[in-house]
Amino acid sequence: MLRLENVTKTYRTRNGTFNALDDVSLHIEAGEFAVIRGASGCGKTTLLMTFAGMLRPTRGTVLFGDRDLYRMGSAERACFRAQNLGFVFQMFHLVPYLSIAENVLLPAAAAGLADPGTRAAELIDKLGLASRRHHDPTQLSAGEKQRTAVARAMLNEPRVILADEPTGNLDPDNARAVLGHLAEYHKGGGTVVIVTHGPEAAQFADKIIHLNAGRIDSNP
Amino acid sequence: MHIAKLIVKEILHRKTHFLLGLVAVAAAVALVVAFVTTAAAGNRETARLMLKTGFNLRIIPADADMNRFLINGFSDRTMPAGYLDTMARQEGFSYNHLLASLQQKIAWRGMEVILTGLAPEVCPPDRKKPPMVFEVKRGTAYMGSVLAEALDIKKGDAIDVNGTMLEIVQCLSPSGTLDDIRIQCHIADAQTILNLPGRINEIQAVDCLCFVPTDDPLAILKDELARVLPEAQVIQIARIAEARNQQRRMVQSYLAFIMAAVIVVAGAWIGLLAMLNVRQRQSEIGIMRAIGYRADYIAALLLGKAVLMGLVGALIGFTVGSALAVVFGPDIFKVTAKALKTDYALLLWSLIAAPAFAAVASFIPVMRAVAQDPADTLRKE
Ligand SMILES: Nc1ncnc2c1ncn2[C@@H]1O[C@H](COP(=O)(O)OP(=O)(O)O)[C@@H](O)[C@H]1O
Ligand SMILES: [Mg+2]
Repeated sequence: MLRLENVTKTYRTRNGTFNALDDVSLHIEAGEFAVIRGASGCGKTTLLMTFAGMLRPTRGTVLFGDRDLYRMGSAERACFRAQNLGFVFQMFHLVPYLSIAENVLLPAAAAGLADPGTRAAELIDKLGLASRRHHDPTQLSAGEKQRTAVARAMLNEPRVILADEPTGNLDPDNARAVLGHLAEYHKGGGTVVIVTHGPEAAQFADKIIHLNAGRIDSNP
Repeated sequence: MHIAKLIVKEILHRKTHFLLGLVAVAAAVALVVAFVTTAAAGNRETARLMLKTGFNLRIIPADADMNRFLINGFSDRTMPAGYLDTMARQEGFSYNHLLASLQQKIAWRGMEVILTGLAPEVCPPDRKKPPMVFEVKRGTAYMGSVLAEALDIKKGDAIDVNGTMLEIVQCLSPSGTLDDIRIQCHIADAQTILNLPGRINEIQAVDCLCFVPTDDPLAILKDELARVLPEAQVIQIARIAEARNQQRRMVQSYLAFIMAAVIVVAGAWIGLLAMLNVRQRQSEIGIMRAIGYRADYIAALLLGKAVLMGLVGALIGFTVGSALAVVFGPDIFKVTAKALKTDYALLLWSLIAAPAFAAVASFIPVMRAVAQDPADTLRKE
């Protein structure tokens, strides 16, 4: 369903240019739990953002089904993300002035959801945040923040959840809990792509892709 | 969630930031409103009255010989004393002082004397201005210094001027002007002495305004007065009016300069605050872009805050500025004080201009934040 074809992403720096992704081709099937592993700085986030339609590759194409993401206009791509994608980041990125419930509801307007309240309440219960519903993000532990982010990623019932180091700031128990929720979503038919340098996610994976200095490493 | 709700929640979350912006907008609006209200009061009155204020006029008989008038300092002809009342009651004409006099050169005790009869000073009923000249009671006189010395006249002496007895209430100290050879008495006494009952030969009108909008208020004043005072002509004491007008223009351009400076500073301040705000909100902007909010929505979210800042700032600024104008204005703009009042059209303008101004001042930082690659913020570990 998600397909990269000969994607190269070149960054321009003070010391010249360098390829964060170098001729990467890979595809992820619908309903797959894919983990992309690699050392820090090997290009994982770059890869994920390219998947997400948020970072135009220097060369190559990114396909979602049969749609070429970077042939769309930026407003169309935004709409596409709102309909099809969910995001979880290492740094949570909760909106500080919104309550937990409101943060979970944030994608509703962008995705044009009909009855987001019910769905949000379900997710908040399911992720164990019911008692935190009206709290501010600052009042939450790291684990609770990331579960809020997971609930937010699931609100629009996306076809794919893209997670960038979702357990990078969590202790092992919370890491397991967050991965468990993503796994459950996967069992329900969702597609999950996690990029991470850690080993925790591997046990849930249908497919593990190794990335090394911007290239797919077929024998790690 | 509705965009307005997001804006309000963010404002409540970062109150200090909003207040700092509000202060700038409110201060700028208050200053502009205070300035425009007072200037408008001035202009409104000036428009209705005239474009320049404070003409000092000399009204003398129409048939006066100008040559002799200028040489002697007074006219050799007379006009009805009733003109004083007519002027005082004239609609569409405002003044601060009216001084009527009857002057003539007479021979007295072998000297040439200017007998000067002064009518009690006339002021508008609602204005408490200190009198410009001393008031002379009937049967009394003030003696010029040259006369007093030459004729050995002292305070308390009674003098006979062509059959009228006057008591000297004061001998004036030397002034180096015609006053030194004047006998100044009540106008009625002068009329008796000169056998000119009910006549005067000059009215000085100080601080005159006319009630018709015009570029040439003096012409209007002259026309108006010519109509009601057919036997009179009007001469302007030009230097005073021109000096006042220049002073007024100087004050106005100085205030306009201060106003422009405050607006520039307020704009820079709001722009700086917007920059700090979007920097703080990078994470929020990034996640909203990722989630699928379009760039124009984010721009509206950020600029909406500036617009709200402008609206609230306009309300506060208008209230403060109007209050300042109404409280302090009358002391500053004494001439036009009566016309000072809250101008609600300015409220409308403030409510349009201040939000637009705040949005323009915030525009560059906001657009830079929106144009920034969200991937950059979201990748931060
Ligand atoms: N905007 C950028 N400009 C220049 N270099 C960048 C930029 N973003 C990332 N990089 C570099 O590209 C490489 C890959 O970055 P990233 O995709 O964030 O790696 P990872 O997520 O695997 O740690 C790193 O060396 C990083 O420093
Ligand atoms: Mg990364």
